[in-house]
Amino acid sequence: MADAAIHGHDHHDERSFFTRWFMSTNHKDIGILYLFVAGAVGFIAVLFTVYMRLELMNPGVQYMCLEGARFIADASAECTPNGHLWNVLITYHGVLMMFFVVIPALFGGFGNYLMPLQIGAPDMAFPRMNNLSFWMFVAGTSLGVASLLTPGGDGQLGSGVGWVLYPPLSTSEGGMSMDLAIFAVHMSGASSILGAINMITTFLNMRAPGMTLHKVPLFSWSIFVTAWMILLALPVLAGAITMLLTDRNFGTTFFSPSGGGDPVLYQHILWFFGHPEVYIIIVPGFGIISHVISTFSRKPIFGYLPMVYAMVAIGALGFIVWAHHMYTVGMSLTQQSYFMLATMVIAVPTGIKIFSWIATMWGGSVEFRTPMLWAFGFLFLFTVGGVTGIVLSQAAIDRAYHDTYYVVAHFHYVMSLGAVFAIFAGVYFYMPKLSGRMFPEWAGNLHFAAMFIGSNLTFFPQHFLGRQGMPRRYIDYPEAFAYWNHLSSIGAFIAFGSFVFFIVLLFYTLLAGRKVDVNNPWNEYADTLEWTLPCPPPEHTFEQLPKQSDWDHGHSH
Amino acid sequence: MPYRWLPPEGDTGCRRLEIRPHRSLGPRGFVTMIGLTLALASVPLLAVLGSVILWVLLPFMAAAIGGLWWALSRNTRDRLAQRETLCLTRQQITLTHASPRHGTRSWSANPYWVRVRLAPTGGPVPDYLTLAGGDREVELGACLSAPERRALAQDLREALAGLR
Repeated sequence: MADAAIHGHDHHDERSFFTRWFMSTNHKDIGILYLFVAGAVGFIAVLFTVYMRLELMNPGVQYMCLEGARFIADASAECTPNGHLWNVLITYHGVLMMFFVVIPALFGGFGNYLMPLQIGAPDMAFPRMNNLSFWMFVAGTSLGVASLLTPGGDGQLGSGVGWVLYPPLSTSEGGMSMDLAIFAVHMSGASSILGAINMITTFLNMRAPGMTLHKVPLFSWSIFVTAWMILLALPVLAGAITMLLTDRNFGTTFFSPSGGGDPVLYQHILWFFGHPEVYIIIVPGFGIISHVISTFSRKPIFGYLPMVYAMVAIGALGFIVWAHHMYTVGMSLTQQSYFMLATMVIAVPTGIKIFSWIATMWGGSVEFRTPMLWAFGFLFLFTVGGVTGIVLSQAAIDRAYHDTYYVVAHFHYVMSLGAVFAIFAGVYFYMPKLSGRMFPEWAGNLHFAAMFIGSNLTFFPQHFLGRQGMPRRYIDYPEAFAYWNHLSSIGAFIAFGSFVFFIVLLFYTLLAGRKVDVNNPWNEYADTLEWTLPCPPPEHTFEQLPKQSDWDHGHSH
Repeated sequence: MPYRWLPPEGDTGCRRLEIRPHRSLGPRGFVTMIGLTLALASVPLLAVLGSVILWVLLPFMAAAIGGLWWALSRNTRDRLAQRETLCLTRQQITLTHASPRHGTRSWSANPYWVRVRLAPTGGPVPDYLTLAGGDREVELGACLSAPERRALAQDLREALAGLR
């Protein structure tokens, strides 16, 4: 037992830069590391899209030539289309965005930083395991980038197999690039599972006294649901890609008909993971959006319990609808009917969430600060993506839309315009809390306006292209698709410009923004525990359990 | 319950007080969590029952669920192990603190001379509670909240007065 220490010791942060950022076990520092690394990887993945949209801007191949990739079109020089380069770009854009950008930003970044604060815990349950998760994510990212630069198929660098890594393409792709990509996904999966176990333990065992499950803030709930989904979905992916690895290297035939295997089985297993994966990406976004909308409507969130159970229901339903990604592989009519109906059922809990957000704003005093603009954008665009999802869920209609740009438009509306808008809503909402500095409001508004116009201009025309029958994953297209592709590319450049502007804005704010000297720069409806702390919070928080009156405002539940 | 008086144990005739850190997951919650996880994990496993794929998915799934089991029970064990127990008789007061890192440590003194001190400010925590007596002064209930320490101080003063 400890001897008494009447003269308290103040906590001075005496860690050196290296100790603080490279050996950190502090959930707040690890959260910030996640956000920055995810942002950097996101920039790489966005650069790929800019180059792809540049290529697709006009019919014919002008930039991705076998004679060497170009950045300036040169009609006089010979250009043989380099399909492998194109395939590599779509693959790594997908892999990086799915595994190394959105999940680490929302789950690793915001989840790590905010979930322990919201439940009044001093840190994560296993701080050193938290550090391990982060560095495994960095190692996974490095493997992913290494895979891009090592010899792959077609005698060129990188693997061009699509992020889903379907065999037989992925098992026959030459070189070691594909193996490195598998290791990268393995690493990221292990990191996510460790993170998920940590989050679940923290959430279940370290809530402040009196904080029952029905009183936990919505963002913490969303992190818990996400962690649970990661725990159940990622092991399935790990199994699937392990079989790919042995098929490639050790002569097994899990997915090869020559030895009694079945390539379609891989698709089933992959999508059993893949569909929960898309909810893993979006559910933490739901949590952030709930807090933002409630704060800037100056009203408690409408229907707290339905909001919680809608997230749980979305998480559970996510596991039983996987085959709607593969209607065209030759399933029986009964199977297709089941997956079609089960998929449509997801619209019910999603609708509960959308309408509860609208009901929160109803009669509220809505204030269009930057985070609210992003939340508004999220609400509108995610709904658009959800509605095209209902269209695609119909097995018969999917026959026409499968592997067209309609699908590309659909999933970018829910991910790029849903999850990414949620990330930006969170970034602006919590920037004063995390950095202690306020961003210039006009700059946040401009970023939103440019991104909103740019990303809609990019993806809305892709619905038309899909309806006209333009297939995905091709480097070139006939003249007939030129008009909407041209517009789509212009939109992508505007969106990219807004991202560059955001990076400047971010560093301006971090280095020279106006200092925030209050705990809560927004209003009294930002009433979760993190807003009772200074901006930025000190190194150690809630070493003393918070009082129930600090967080229990009755009305929210 | 953050602190509670336990019934006397055996023939020692000592009044026992137990203080333990707050934890929000009970044994019932642990069972529910593991049970639900197992049920959900069986969805993909049942689908591949009878195929060789099962044997590839099973180890990963088992590792994930085993990891969850380990993490929840390890966290619970660590928290329970920070228990402080106080044994109070007319002759002796004994405080035992079992911590997972530092082993079991104890302090004892003659209760007649023991003083309960509550420092509202100046301590490492607000309403810092200490017991002075014997050869040194020890802290008590550092894992409790401030109002709980105030109540505990009152309880202890009454208990000690009753023994004199």
